[in-house]
Amino acid sequence: MTQAAFYSLIAGALAGIGIYGLITQRHLLRRILAVNVLGNSVFLLLVALARRHPDYVDPVPHAMVLTGIVIAVSATAFALVLARRYYAETGLNHLPEDEE
Amino acid sequence: MIDWTFDLLLAGGLLGLAWQIVASRILFRSVVLFIVFGLLMAVTWARLAAPDLALAEAAIGAGITGALLLSAYRALLPDRDDGGEGGSPPPAVPPWAAVGVAVLVGVLIAGIGWAVVGLEPPEQTAGRLALAKLEASGVENPVTAVLLNFRSIDTLSEVVVLFVAFLAARVVAQDLVHAGPGDWLRASRREPLLVQPLIAFIAPMTVLAAGYLLWAGASQPGGAFQAGAVLAALGVLLRLTGRLRPTEETSLPERLVLVGGLVLFSAIGLASAGVASAVLEYPPGWAYELILLIETALTLAIALPLVLLFSGSGGLRGEVR
Amino acid sequence: MALLDALSAGLLLLGGLFFLTGTVGLLRFPGVFDRLHALTKADNLGLGCVVAALILQAETGWVAAKLVLIWMLALIAATVSAHLIARFSLRARGGARRTPP
Repeated sequence: MTQAAFYSLIAGALAGIGIYGLITQRHLLRRILAVNVLGNSVFLLLVALARRHPDYVDPVPHAMVLTGIVIAVSATAFALVLARRYYAETGLNHLPEDEE
Repeated sequence: MIDWTFDLLLAGGLLGLAWQIVASRILFRSVVLFIVFGLLMAVTWARLAAPDLALAEAAIGAGITGALLLSAYRALLPDRDDGGEGGSPPPAVPPWAAVGVAVLVGVLIAGIGWAVVGLEPPEQTAGRLALAKLEASGVENPVTAVLLNFRSIDTLSEVVVLFVAFLAARVVAQDLVHAGPGDWLRASRREPLLVQPLIAFIAPMTVLAAGYLLWAGASQPGGAFQAGAVLAALGVLLRLTGRLRPTEETSLPERLVLVGGLVLFSAIGLASAGVASAVLEYPPGWAYELILLIETALTLAIALPLVLLFSGSGGLRGEVR
Repeated sequence: MALLDALSAGLLLLGGLFFLTGTVGLLRFPGVFDRLHALTKADNLGLGCVVAALILQAETGWVAAKLVLIWMLALIAATVSAHLIARFSLRARGGARRTPP
């Protein structure tokens, strides 16, 4: 098993954990964390596939993931501002459809 | 054999941390373990021969995101001290469905990777083409060449996304009295003894480090993103220690910095349409200088929105303590 | 040469051992101050051993100097963080009157 294949498997496992957290957790902050784990798993897949060539390291996925990291932090920052405003307006830490 | 031990340990750490982040009952533990997860991802990038990514992940993914999350954790914590959730109510989705979806998604991601690795790598990939044209791009670092020369449209769009996130946060954000950390600064008028020496030492060194990362990005791992993230970290430190106070209005220099990277990048790109052959293509011989100019503007245009997103305000002003 | 590699390996293992004791202290000690004590002593020493091992492997003197600089910066960060944590914990128990400088 090459390094690319191994880290692809790890990326898959991380994606599964992230989706599981996104679906089952109620607290908004936990959901944001789960989305970040999911995003990191996709980045890991891209960079692992950049290593599949035997003679060189592909720089294009590296550039894409670098852009992706900055976009992920922008989205996380905005999501956190939304969550804070939502909490200030309603006093809830979760979405109303998640109450039983 | 030693290599595989390291890879297995790294993978075990990543998966263990991810599980703890998602399944831990204490919210604070999830947030802190996420920061550790970011650092372990940086080690993974270094292991996968992506040093630029390792630098960026450590600064942005672990550092800035960690600061944002901790600040939001303080704000979202209800007044009762039971960890923020009051036990764990049963989730709305039955566990077997959630596990099923998780397994499907995991198999999808891993399957894509496995299938692509099994294929014969094609002869003419974009990466091979980029490496072949590296001397003509003006820089020696292939990632910088791809970011600022071959795929500069992506970098332009990414700066737009960061700017739009800042604007959106301004629309949704609360009043300044709730803006980010700072309440505790009013409670104790005396600050800890070691903070001033720390700032006196760290601030110049950080500016130096950011400038070096920007300059060295042309030939070694580094570049505008990493330098911008390091400057943003300095901004977060100054905001936390009270050297920078939040203001409601964005001052004119701040506005110029916020849009400056975007405007400069677009202007150079459009001007090149007249001098060179296409939009966003540099005139031959000028590539290195123009890339350095754009990267300088981008560094500031990345650092300032990140600091403002952390502080939750429209602007910052200096304050002498 | 082999002696240098053996020395580096030994120092790396020693550093790992220090980190291990620091982490065991973090997990097993009951209070904030005990944990701070275990972490700051063991982790800084562990980082020092790791950096020393890497200095033995460095190609030029500039790389060794940069490694020492990294160690000093980590030391400074750990010092100020420990000071702030301890100060906060002390104030949380004793109120504003007991706040040390």
